[in-house]
Amino acid sequence: MRARGVSRTYRDGARTVTALEGTNVDIPDGKFVSIVGPSGCGKSTLLNLFCGLDKPDAGSVEAPTLGAGELLGRVGYVPQQDVLMAWRTVTGNATAGLECLGCGREEARRRAREHMDRFGLAGFELSYPSQLSGGMRQRVAMLRTFLCERKINLLDEPFGKLDAITRASMQTWLLEYWQENRCTIVFVTHDIDEALFLSDEVHLMSPRPGRIVLSLEVDVPRPRKYGEVVTSVHFNELKSRLLHGLRREA
Amino acid sequence: MRSGIWPPLLLGAGIIAAWEIYVRVGRIDPLLLPPPSAVALYLIGNIQIMLSNGGATLSELLIGFAGGVMIGLSLGMLMQIWRWFREAAYPWLVATQMVPIPAVAPILVLWFGFTIVPKAATVALMSFFPVAVSTVDGLSSVNPELIRLLRTFGARPWKVMTMAALPSALPRIFSGLRVAMALSVVGAVVGEWVGSTRGLGFLMLHYENRGETAGLFATVTVLAIMGIILFFLVGWVENWAISWRRYAKETL
Repeated sequence: MRARGVSRTYRDGARTVTALEGTNVDIPDGKFVSIVGPSGCGKSTLLNLFCGLDKPDAGSVEAPTLGAGELLGRVGYVPQQDVLMAWRTVTGNATAGLECLGCGREEARRRAREHMDRFGLAGFELSYPSQLSGGMRQRVAMLRTFLCERKINLLDEPFGKLDAITRASMQTWLLEYWQENRCTIVFVTHDIDEALFLSDEVHLMSPRPGRIVLSLEVDVPRPRKYGEVVTSVHFNELKSRLLHGLRREA
Repeated sequence: MRSGIWPPLLLGAGIIAAWEIYVRVGRIDPLLLPPPSAVALYLIGNIQIMLSNGGATLSELLIGFAGGVMIGLSLGMLMQIWRWFREAAYPWLVATQMVPIPAVAPILVLWFGFTIVPKAATVALMSFFPVAVSTVDGLSSVNPELIRLLRTFGARPWKVMTMAALPSALPRIFSGLRVAMALSVVGAVVGEWVGSTRGLGFLMLHYENRGETAGLFATVTVLAIMGIILFFLVGWVENWAISWRRYAKETL
């Protein structure tokens, strides 16, 4: 997936906000790529373009693996809020994506049940979202998108609202899941540790208008163990380069 | 809430007792204000007439209410889907509520005669508006992030409506339904006043002409009981339809 010379401005009341201007990004197939940047740097705008919810004013967004045509409906997307439907059970929420794609309800439920265990939701199939913890809610949200089995999945700060301990276990869980089910993941976050621990590549975005100002390859072998990786010397070298890049932009 | 059914019952009993004493001690003309005991006796003595006329009113009311709800829901959904339709239709919908319904009812009788149609139409005219307004309100309260997500799943507008917007609009729609039900009772009686041969509204005119005040009061009592039962019936259906809310409340 790639963005070439992408610009996007939108109106916010009387102001005109330039979220992206001549932005270029390359997301290699099958890689775990993070986009890091300060709040309001246009990360979410970029994801909206990637999943086809929004169109660029200039430039192009393409996904050669998916072929030509509309991106909307063909790229997986996990939003920042879990937006679970309070009136549906865990299973009902998990099947929402498949149902939208025209999958029958029974078939969708069967497929959701197969994954409950892997997503740590076994025994909670009939619970309502309000009865779940934050981490579980987020896993339901990811199950809902991952059940659609997209080649490309966009995750918009999915762990942003979780506490630090839950967040670390969710990161480990996501990595394991990704290693079993390879797909392209574009992961947006403002947490540098999180980005480095998870990704093959990390792109640093500047404040508005958002551009990629630094791209790093994270050559840490997999499978990665959280405690070992985040305390290693190499990890901290990469981290200091990113932090340095951030400071220069701020 | 669950402090019980007793406080309202006690208050009601107190008011009825005071009324009885007032009429008896004050030697009030029973043609102006009959004592509750006389009303109760009249009600029991004429229960057959009350029930058959009540049944007529109930069927007009339910048919009209069902029609009003369907019209209200459809209008609400159309106004939500098509912005231009909302802008074009909203002032006219408000206008229908500015026209006094009792003034329209004779026209309906002129068109449809002494049948059930003008009564049901009057009920529908009064009940569709709160349903339409609460539907528009409820539908626009859906989380826009959820809509965006469903669109990334390739959901068409109709799918978004049935899967996300309607369920999240239900609590508000039911508020509208309760108002609509209360108005329906008024609509049915007004519809009967302008032209009918049966029903509780007809019965009221009948007793009034004959100076049977106790009968008039008894009819009003039946009407009130019917209205209360219907109102709570809507609440009961609501609890059933929005059963998931129980779980939401547990954690709030």
